[in-house]
Amino acid sequence: MLKSYLKIAWRNLRKQKVFAAVNIVGMSTALCAALLLSLTAYREWTYDNFHENGKDIYQLIGIEDTGGQVKTGSSMSKPLAVALQKEVPGVKGITFIAGYNVPVRYGANHYYLGAQMVDKDFLKMFTFPVIKGDKNSALQQLNQVVLTKRASGILFKDTDGVGKTVELNLNGKWQPFIVSAIAADIPDNSGMYFELLTRFENEPEYNTTKNDWSASNFPLFVQLEPGVSKTSFEKNMNVVVNKYYKGKIEDLQKNAGGVKNVFYLKGLPLKDFHLDADSSFYSGLNKFYPWLMIILATLIIGIAAINFINLSIARSFARSGEIGLRKSLGAQNGQLLLQFWAEAFLLCCFALVLSLGLMILLLPYYNQVFGHHIALSVFRNIWVVTGTVAGFFLITLLAGGYPAWKVARLNILQVLKGKLGMGKSSGVRNGLIVVQFMVAVVLISCTSIIWQQLNFIQSAPLGYNSSQVISIPLDNATPSDITTMKNRLAEMGEVRSVSGSMLNLGMGKDGSSGNWTRGFMYKDRHVSTQCLAVDYDYARTLDLKILSGRDFSREYGTDSSAVVINELMAKQLGVTDPVGITFRMSDDEPPVHVIGMVKDYHFESLHKKIDPLVMIMNAPLNYIFVKVETHNPVASLKKITTLWKGINELAESDPSFLDENAQRLYRQEQRFSKIFMSGAVLAVIISCMGLFAIAVLVMAHRKKEIGIRKVLGASVSGIVLLLSKDFLRLVLVAVLIATPAAWYFMHRWLEGFEYHTTIHWWVFGVAGLLAVCIAFLTVSLQSVKAALANPVNSLTRD
Amino acid sequence: MIQLQKISRHYPVGFGKNYILKDIDLTINEGEFVSIMGPSGSGKSTLLHILGLLEEPSEGQYLFEGERVDKMNEKKRTQLHRGSIGFVFQAYHLIDELTVYENIETPLLYKNIPASERKSRVADVLDRFNMVAKKDLFPNQLSGGQQQLVGIARAIVAEPRVILADEPTGNLHSDQAKVIMQLFKHLNEQDKITIVQVTHSDVNATYGNRVIQIRDGHIQP
Repeated sequence: MLKSYLKIAWRNLRKQKVFAAVNIVGMSTALCAALLLSLTAYREWTYDNFHENGKDIYQLIGIEDTGGQVKTGSSMSKPLAVALQKEVPGVKGITFIAGYNVPVRYGANHYYLGAQMVDKDFLKMFTFPVIKGDKNSALQQLNQVVLTKRASGILFKDTDGVGKTVELNLNGKWQPFIVSAIAADIPDNSGMYFELLTRFENEPEYNTTKNDWSASNFPLFVQLEPGVSKTSFEKNMNVVVNKYYKGKIEDLQKNAGGVKNVFYLKGLPLKDFHLDADSSFYSGLNKFYPWLMIILATLIIGIAAINFINLSIARSFARSGEIGLRKSLGAQNGQLLLQFWAEAFLLCCFALVLSLGLMILLLPYYNQVFGHHIALSVFRNIWVVTGTVAGFFLITLLAGGYPAWKVARLNILQVLKGKLGMGKSSGVRNGLIVVQFMVAVVLISCTSIIWQQLNFIQSAPLGYNSSQVISIPLDNATPSDITTMKNRLAEMGEVRSVSGSMLNLGMGKDGSSGNWTRGFMYKDRHVSTQCLAVDYDYARTLDLKILSGRDFSREYGTDSSAVVINELMAKQLGVTDPVGITFRMSDDEPPVHVIGMVKDYHFESLHKKIDPLVMIMNAPLNYIFVKVETHNPVASLKKITTLWKGINELAESDPSFLDENAQRLYRQEQRFSKIFMSGAVLAVIISCMGLFAIAVLVMAHRKKEIGIRKVLGASVSGIVLLLSKDFLRLVLVAVLIATPAAWYFMHRWLEGFEYHTTIHWWVFGVAGLLAVCIAFLTVSLQSVKAALANPVNSLTRD
Repeated sequence: MIQLQKISRHYPVGFGKNYILKDIDLTINEGEFVSIMGPSGSGKSTLLHILGLLEEPSEGQYLFEGERVDKMNEKKRTQLHRGSIGFVFQAYHLIDELTVYENIETPLLYKNIPASERKSRVADVLDRFNMVAKKDLFPNQLSGGQQQLVGIARAIVAEPRVILADEPTGNLHSDQAKVIMQLFKHLNEQDKITIVQVTHSDVNATYGNRVIQIRDGHIQP
């Protein structure tokens, strides 16, 4: 019996080529897109899931709640870790993780390795298996390092380096370390990445800050005893916090406006590290991003399934004779249902095979364009396979089952007499077409608003000169290298000015970012500000607008105790002209005096509001900023890069222009918009394919009517209009429903940006018009053909 | 074998009813060859549909081999379709996607007959109708008369007790019609299959042994 069904299905497919093509092409592209998107989401959700103690591991997050403003921070002080381990019950392991790019030397060659400086519990807490050496003794001594297999291969050209001595460049000095163990390479779904582990005590400022409760520099991780709950741990932990941070809490309470719990710690579970912005291993991905992928996948599959349903129902009317006949021969509804579902299943199977092939072909391209890392090896995971198969069955059940059910229930007599018209199911059909075009219009308008926002960000004035300034990451350069570089730069003809800073603007090629937030008391008020260490001529190099006072300058001898602030800081201090006022940023630091105020500029991403800012002079620099004036920026950049690589042999990251760095901050958004745009295009194409096929059917059905109308004197344009009208009405309804939905989604999305474009009404107008035009063109292809046909042909055939 | 008692069929029209059949009393015995005749719209096709359980009567009782079938549920009705009743249609209603052989085999598939027996029964029928050479052709490769032969072959392959034929020769020219009618006569006489046909043609009616005239929903005495 099944054989007979499949035979019929196969012959039907060959006979009805347009429908088979629309269904198979639509389904397979949709399945392919959905597979890629769901695999991406799956990958994002399964980050860090290989840690055996995962459910007991937390990162500590500090929360400062001063009335209207809630700030979270992930850096903890060193004595706190000691206190927590001693005084909080249920803590099994605790470790800081300090990430550095460290130059490592073996023999004559040196390499940069991603190092994490950790406490001795690290390898027991996290599941990074040791393949050579002993996990328990690997980090007992301060001069031990653990290398990954890959790092060992790079350094020794051999994966067994246990016992060998390497040198690490720390604090500008080469220091010997012994390789104590080799760890397996880090799985690619790990948020933590290292090539080298060493003890946290080797962190350059460890000795100066080890007893300092106020120096919070590195993220802290705990592993709880099994069975200890997060809530009880947080409760016990905050008793300790209240004990040691009494002074800070009292300060904060002064202007917190009655908020009791001004400062406390919470635990962030390991499973949230990848997608929670507070985590130190945050990927930069919005938490909703994987969900959006799933939604997009569902929408695309939905559109293809709608095509499938509409076409199957429409086509089953052409086969109504067969259905009626089978019933009169004794077929039960269930058997007919099975038959039609089997046909749908066969079609979907073709589509699945095609889509898998397509996916394998597209995967490298997809990874490259959208910056994802999906490998085909995910299909080794039984859950992925089960999920795919289950999803596929569900789709065939939905797409094939509904038409089959509908067809099986038809009345025999009507079917045999051929009384079934296309009009019979037009309610459902029209509803489904409306849904399809709704989705298409939502995607089109969202895409255009996302595009506008990205444009807005790219052209928004940042408040500094981004097109002429090159930033050079210093990568462990010695102070003498930096001085040499500055002098050599000053000699270059196109260089107008040179300065430096602790933090980059935007995101440089080294990929690092950070901020330094400080709080202190000023006139009995708690003020909180970002702090930035800069070099002389900072404002001049970046073309910051000085509103009053002056920039840091070598001409004055007292600038080491001077600060430059921005407008918002002045506002916070409550003064209009801040030049000359003094304040203390910390009890053990000398007071500083304000020498100038600059106009607010976007030193962080446009996602965030501009914060108050204090610029100081006396901290180490990590970046040099060079302002160049040249007709050939590319050549200048190249020249400076070569110069820098010649001076600092440890240089790793290339210099880059600041406008490029600013763009790099919005990579996620750019990826996101690319995916959205591709999804929108795909959705529109699949919808149109469906509309086209339905139009073919309807035209075939109305052939006689068209013939009669023409004989009676209707014009071609009149007939085209008559035939297209019904479809256009559906698309218009879809546009009307889609517009508010799209507006709402985009409104929510734009709220994620502190600086964003406004939504213009014409966007929806254009999107709607576009949808109508596309639909009209699609339908016209058929209606014009039908209208031009010679009526004699259609009338004599009956 | 077939007994209709006070069978009526009507459609609602406005506030009243429009009777297509009214108070039909009819008995058809096993082995008869009955022709139902009457002008267009007289209700003869409706009567045949009711006989074939394709349509339910509005009033009255229908006994098939002594069993009430007018209120039968879907499942039992399907059993009758599978086992006892064979249909022949004016428009043949062959499945375009199936070959001659497969079309004839379809009712046997629904009766869950094992493959070997299916094969021999289809082969028998093909042989008997001299269509062995055409068994792998598709319906659109056959002439109308040949298609109707396949239709009849399909109707008898399941060995029904009754064949209901709705203007079986309506789409054929007279030579082909003659062949088909002789086949019916043969089936009736040799195989003892009860045959009920609807026809316009007086010539066709002569092949049967009883004529029922219908006019305006009533059987003419």
